[in-house]
Amino acid sequence: MTGFVGGAVYGLAGGLVIAVAALFGVWWERKVSARIQMRLGPTEIGPAGLFQTLADTIKLVLKEDITPRQVDRPLFRMAPLLVFTPIAMSLVVIPFAGGWVPLNTSVGMLFFVAVPSVSVIGVLLAGFSSGNTYATLGGLRGAAQMISYELPRTLSVLAMALLAGSLAPLEVMNRYEWWWTPATFIALIVYFISSIAELNRGPFDIPEAESELVAGYFADYSGIRWAIFMMSEYGGLVAASFFGAAIFMGGAQGLPGVFGVLLIFAKALVLITLMMLVKWTFPRFRSDQLLTLAWKVLTPMALVQLVIVGVILPWL
Amino acid sequence: MSFDAPTIVQIILGAIALLSAMTVVLVREIMRMAIGLGVFLLSVAGLFLLYGASFLATSEVFVYVGGVLVLMLFAIMLVQRSDSGRAVLVSRHDIGSASVALGLFVMLTVALQGVSNRFTGSAPESSMQELSEVLMGGRLVQYEIAGLLLLVALVAVIVIAGGDER
Amino acid sequence: MIGVLVSVAVFCIGVYGVLTRRDIVGVLASIEVMLAGSMLALVAMASGADSVTGVRPLGQSIEAVVLLLMVIDAAEAAVGLALLVSVARRRGVTRIDELQEVKG
Repeated sequence: MTGFVGGAVYGLAGGLVIAVAALFGVWWERKVSARIQMRLGPTEIGPAGLFQTLADTIKLVLKEDITPRQVDRPLFRMAPLLVFTPIAMSLVVIPFAGGWVPLNTSVGMLFFVAVPSVSVIGVLLAGFSSGNTYATLGGLRGAAQMISYELPRTLSVLAMALLAGSLAPLEVMNRYEWWWTPATFIALIVYFISSIAELNRGPFDIPEAESELVAGYFADYSGIRWAIFMMSEYGGLVAASFFGAAIFMGGAQGLPGVFGVLLIFAKALVLITLMMLVKWTFPRFRSDQLLTLAWKVLTPMALVQLVIVGVILPWL
Repeated sequence: MSFDAPTIVQIILGAIALLSAMTVVLVREIMRMAIGLGVFLLSVAGLFLLYGASFLATSEVFVYVGGVLVLMLFAIMLVQRSDSGRAVLVSRHDIGSASVALGLFVMLTVALQGVSNRFTGSAPESSMQELSEVLMGGRLVQYEIAGLLLLVALVAVIVIAGGDER
Repeated sequence: MIGVLVSVAVFCIGVYGVLTRRDIVGVLASIEVMLAGSMLALVAMASGADSVTGVRPLGQSIEAVVLLLMVIDAAEAAVGLALLVSVARRRGVTRIDELQEVKG
């Protein structure tokens, strides 16, 4: 039974990590956006406003859990969890350091791109069950965007798998050599952009745009269920950044133990901050521009990267 | 039969698979049916994982839950308007169909009596290396044909679903 | 034996669904159930190490076959759903028993 107990422990630890990471992520985002707009951001609660999100979360949890009368009740209540759970699950295959990968499976890379795709169903259900046109449109757009960007994302991860000769993230991290980053720079860019789009974050957040669709598929959500949507966005941000740091940037390789964890943390923080800078710098893409970017720019780029890796491979 | 942990998990997953398959077949409301299908596919993926086929389990989640089911939900939401208000979806031939299904079940069970399932509880995780050697070695032709089939299907879908914009 | 039994039962449930459901999406979903049942049967029969030698008999080969099955199934589902959308757009029909124009 150790497997089940271990799984439960890892599950709880993963949930805790994602919750803390989401709290920190929201605070960091508010600080970054404030610096861009020449504001201060949260300052009052805790040192440099660090506990502001905690206070916000307590407020959201204490709010009444409203389910509107016209919605499809069970589906409406289930949808946020369907979005959140797969993203939380995808955290278990991320290698934080040599022996610090919760689930060291031989199909980890595929797992990481496959499991979050389940949350597309949550997005569609949230849009459908809300029963209003804005939410349904937002859900359809969000789902179309997410499944479109899955393709370049998978292809970019595949390039790394091809280069390392393994689908296990830990193996890829251990075999990393410095010249991999220039050689697979295209893949890194494709991964970066499609991760942002996959999470429906700005500038690719037209499905949940306040000014166009009154918040899209979570227009009818409030309180804790809305917070779960937010938490899955920031959890996904953290997961994508750590995975990108581990796969494309060598992760914790080169430094032992705790220092390795610090190294991968620093790399992931750079990626997170870059994603936030992108969000607060660029205007929103239109829905058709989004799909054009995915299918006509990023997918061919990822294929070119695959060809480059294929050309390099025999010389190793 | 000993009731060790893998057997219990197997029974639980099997029960979930059966119940959700019944949901897919019997539930009238189309969105609930899609959810039932999702649960069914996930439980099948869980069984794959239990049997040591971790690559298949992950592909099942990727291809079916993330692909086919999403497509199905898209289709439902696209055609939903023309379908509202008529919920009588189960046919009158249900007794005949049930006897056909039951007969098939008895027949297949009897036919598969001789097949011994050697699942002893802990299946070793199959190695990606060997699987890829099989796919790229002995089954290369089938692999290529499957890729070609996917391409044809992709073109066909675009032509069929998007062709009436003239 | 549990896995094989479940797969057979699932397959037969799928058969019942294909025979009784009238909405096209339901029929397609039932076909998915049938195919998943057959895949499950293959994997269940190939699973588990031989009690004497400890090797998985034909494991990888069966997995490759199931993978190809998945590809075919995905293609089938995509084309089927495209047909559904096309028929629903042109005729406003989403039920099988209403598609009777070629019936003699």
